[in-house]
Amino acid sequence: MRRTLIFGLAAVLAAAGCGVGETTQPESGAAASGGKVELSFLVFETPNLDAAFWDAAIARASAKVPEVTIKKLVTPNIDRTAYAKQLDAAGNLPDILQSVNPAGFAQAGKLAPFTDEELKNFIAPKAGAIGGKVYQLPYNTQVIPVVYYNKDLFAKAGITAPPTTYQELLDISKKLKDGGTTPFVVGGGGADTWADMYPLTGTVATDVYKKTPDWLLQRAQGKVKFTDPDFVAAAKKIEDLAKNEYIDPAGLSRSYADTEQAFRDGKGAMYPMGSWFATSADANKPSFEVGAFPWPTDDGSPVTPTFTGGGTLVSATAKNVELAKKWALAFDEDKENNDAFVRKDGSIPAIKGYTPPADMGPVYNATVEIYTKGMADGSIFDAFSQEAGDGALPPGLADKAALGVQDLITGKKNAQQFAEFLDDEYAKATQ
Amino acid sequence: MNARPIVATFVGVVFFLPLYLVLVNIFKPSAAVVADPAGLPFPPTFDNLAAVLNRPDHLFTFGLINSIAVTALSVTVLTIFSAMLGHYLARSRHWGAKVAMGTLLCGLMIPVPVIMAPITTVLKWFDLMTTLQGLVLVNVGYYVPFGVLLFTGFVKSVPLELEEAAALDGANRFRVFWQVVFPLLRPASASVTIFLGVWIWNDFLTPLIVLGPDSGTTVTVGVYRAIGQYQSDFGSVFAFMFLATLPILIFYLALQKNFVKGLTGGAVKG
Amino acid sequence: MTQTMRPPARVKARPAPPRRRSGRFLPGLGRFALFALPGLVAYALFVLVPIGMTAYNSLTNLNPFNPPTRFVGLRNYVSLLGDTEFRQALVNTIIVTAIITVLANVGGLLIAMLLDRPTRLYVLLRGVFFTPVVLSSVVISVIWQAILTDDGLLNSALRGLGVDEPPGWLSDPGLALYSIAWIMTWQMLGFCVVVYLAGLQGVPRELNEAASIDGAGALQRFRNVTWPMLAPALTINVVMLLITGFKAYDQVRVITNGGPGNGTTVTMAFQVVQTAFVSNRIGYSSALAAVMLAIVAFISVVVLRFLQKREVSQ
Repeated sequence: MRRTLIFGLAAVLAAAGCGVGETTQPESGAAASGGKVELSFLVFETPNLDAAFWDAAIARASAKVPEVTIKKLVTPNIDRTAYAKQLDAAGNLPDILQSVNPAGFAQAGKLAPFTDEELKNFIAPKAGAIGGKVYQLPYNTQVIPVVYYNKDLFAKAGITAPPTTYQELLDISKKLKDGGTTPFVVGGGGADTWADMYPLTGTVATDVYKKTPDWLLQRAQGKVKFTDPDFVAAAKKIEDLAKNEYIDPAGLSRSYADTEQAFRDGKGAMYPMGSWFATSADANKPSFEVGAFPWPTDDGSPVTPTFTGGGTLVSATAKNVELAKKWALAFDEDKENNDAFVRKDGSIPAIKGYTPPADMGPVYNATVEIYTKGMADGSIFDAFSQEAGDGALPPGLADKAALGVQDLITGKKNAQQFAEFLDDEYAKATQ
Repeated sequence: MNARPIVATFVGVVFFLPLYLVLVNIFKPSAAVVADPAGLPFPPTFDNLAAVLNRPDHLFTFGLINSIAVTALSVTVLTIFSAMLGHYLARSRHWGAKVAMGTLLCGLMIPVPVIMAPITTVLKWFDLMTTLQGLVLVNVGYYVPFGVLLFTGFVKSVPLELEEAAALDGANRFRVFWQVVFPLLRPASASVTIFLGVWIWNDFLTPLIVLGPDSGTTVTVGVYRAIGQYQSDFGSVFAFMFLATLPILIFYLALQKNFVKGLTGGAVKG
Repeated sequence: MTQTMRPPARVKARPAPPRRRSGRFLPGLGRFALFALPGLVAYALFVLVPIGMTAYNSLTNLNPFNPPTRFVGLRNYVSLLGDTEFRQALVNTIIVTAIITVLANVGGLLIAMLLDRPTRLYVLLRGVFFTPVVLSSVVISVIWQAILTDDGLLNSALRGLGVDEPPGWLSDPGLALYSIAWIMTWQMLGFCVVVYLAGLQGVPRELNEAASIDGAGALQRFRNVTWPMLAPALTINVVMLLITGFKAYDQVRVITNGGPGNGTTVTMAFQVVQTAFVSNRIGYSSALAAVMLAIVAFISVVVLRFLQKREVSQ
């Protein structure tokens, strides 16, 4: 026994020796090798944005900026902002980061701002500005939420057209419910608590932001509070949807992926979700046709909640900030990269002169139509809890809000209590 | 009396059900996982396992090398350090030894996340962030209390007279310890090796932060990434989990006979 | 605390060594440096120093994203007193720890007695029960999440059996915490089984036979002969389960993220991490950590003292 133990130990040590040799690359080797600068780039993987996607996209950008070689780093889960914070706390902030929320990083001077000249190709060059400076390339727009619906279930309940007013939405919900169909699929289980926010994002846009577009900025200045009647009314709509059992609390145990699956399985007729669902619905068609409509207002006037931003960021301490910025711009402006983002993630690129591929599917086209219409009639507003920049919620508050919405859906909190909770948390987060 | 095997088997089967679900779904295509999660995989497919092994980014294979290196080095150093420290504390009657032991035991209950940020600060002092050596040292510091706990318990079952006799023969302390005492502590060493091996192998947060994404990952960090990437594609997730667990499971099976004895040490005569 | 595992009987049996001898075996500086120092230094550097830093940070408003950092004295501790979420996290942690300690011990003992036979079947079953102990908490969390979600395997099975509205194991705020505790119990059960089995095998057969001849029933024999002999096994199990319970983090992170709703399944470790890394409030989270450590240390000392007394008095 003793001999085998010793032998085994020697074997693992030998293996360990090889492992060490192979895996610990000297830090210094990272910089300038053969005149090239190696920059680290933090990305995240999802079922749509897989390893092959990132590798191809990185290669295309690097072809345009040949002075740069990229070392791809992958987050352990989709929550890249939390991971970036942990890396930063450990003194390891990567040189370039994809789709990390700049809040906090920017104020602390950890990110390099982009100049107006650098942003000249972007449709909304000031989107997500923090103190007047843009730290994250505003490369795409998302409509949050779009209400995707199951045309079969609508037809079965005798519903002929999507709603144009909030009252119609309630009538439709009642019809569906009476026919034994859960009207809304809302998720938020497991680590994906955020997935329950979309109906509230809708009602906050229609009931709060429509009247006061810079409401959250005013909240930061202390001019308004969550307990003000407008916001409570928006929350009350969610409370009522849950009370009438139009939202199934079963969703609170569904992860984001399971939530989408539940909609695909016909477990509910309407799926309020970000516009990125569109390509998923096109690429992997459910057994029914999917329609799309914007979250309706009381009086039927248009409101299109959107978020623009979400692109690449550059660390202020990158090995070569100028090159890193150049590479980030190349990455975000590359036509093929944007095509890939459109195809894989339903993004609506916000780059001047960009047109999506002609062969996009019907759900994506319906989604883009909602956005184009919103642009045309000037009904673009922020998407609550998704904001970046000066008008954003303080760090951690979006997570708290998502937890609060769970309480709203299970009936543990009413709208008033939910609003009070948010005011409390806001005070804590900013103290 | 005849009911015993039936009851025992029944309880065992119920207990095993969650693991059964993992095992069968590894060998099914994803459509079958959704359609019939509990059914047997006929015909079985090895695509899920092959996909993990043949990943173009070598997430599994590179992670495996790192995991083996980190676990083997940490456990070896830990066994040596905690055997010596455990022996020293068990034999010492100085009040300081009691204080040291108490302080060590408090460390057993501290969750790593709670002290993770300051740990990185300490590592930076020595320029050990993002190195394997740094990760091994953190593991050693963090898990040494558990090793000491097991070794002190066991040392007390080793007769003091034996050490004294050897010492009288003129051997020095160090040699007495390694040649006489340490071999007697083998069951305890086996327990320490298994337990700390399992914990370090399965550790997620420490390698994630200390190694950082630069220096590659461990298989357990790979499991996290696989979950993010495949999400509800359970066939793929389970295949990754299975392969990531297999080495440590084999390791346990190889050493299992010894480890209970060491764990319960002088306390339970196993 | 220092003598957790000491077998009392043997200690008594060994005559106290004469002073002269203990002098030779007591710490010389050289021996201290050689034997004790390496382990102690590693522990000090990577556990004690970080704890010290945490204690210091807890007196500041440290927030790396919101400089400047100021010294705020005990302000964090004062606001902690009124923090209902902290109280809930504390209660949740104690509930989880208590449940797994009791369930895994009782279940582990019953199963150990069931498996206390030397044939192959029982050896195989031992392996079955121990497997979860070897798995990572993350792996276990993923497995159980697939089983316990509302449309998960358990509820599908229940619906198949005619239960129309099976419980929302993870979505019902009243159930989620218990589901987490159950998952952790399942994970640790095998550990208790194996330790109790070792304990049972240490009970001399003659003792039980003698008691049997004296006319003691099975229950009496268990109470008076077996159970006292299992005292050290109980100590080990309780220590391990306390460690597991107080550290509960992975399961919460993967399965519920603290929900459903605010704070429902938040444990102390989880709250500390969220406060530090999601809300960036390192100062406040350090105060949480400090209080948590104090509470954990206090509970551990009380429980260990009690168990040791019990061992010694047997």
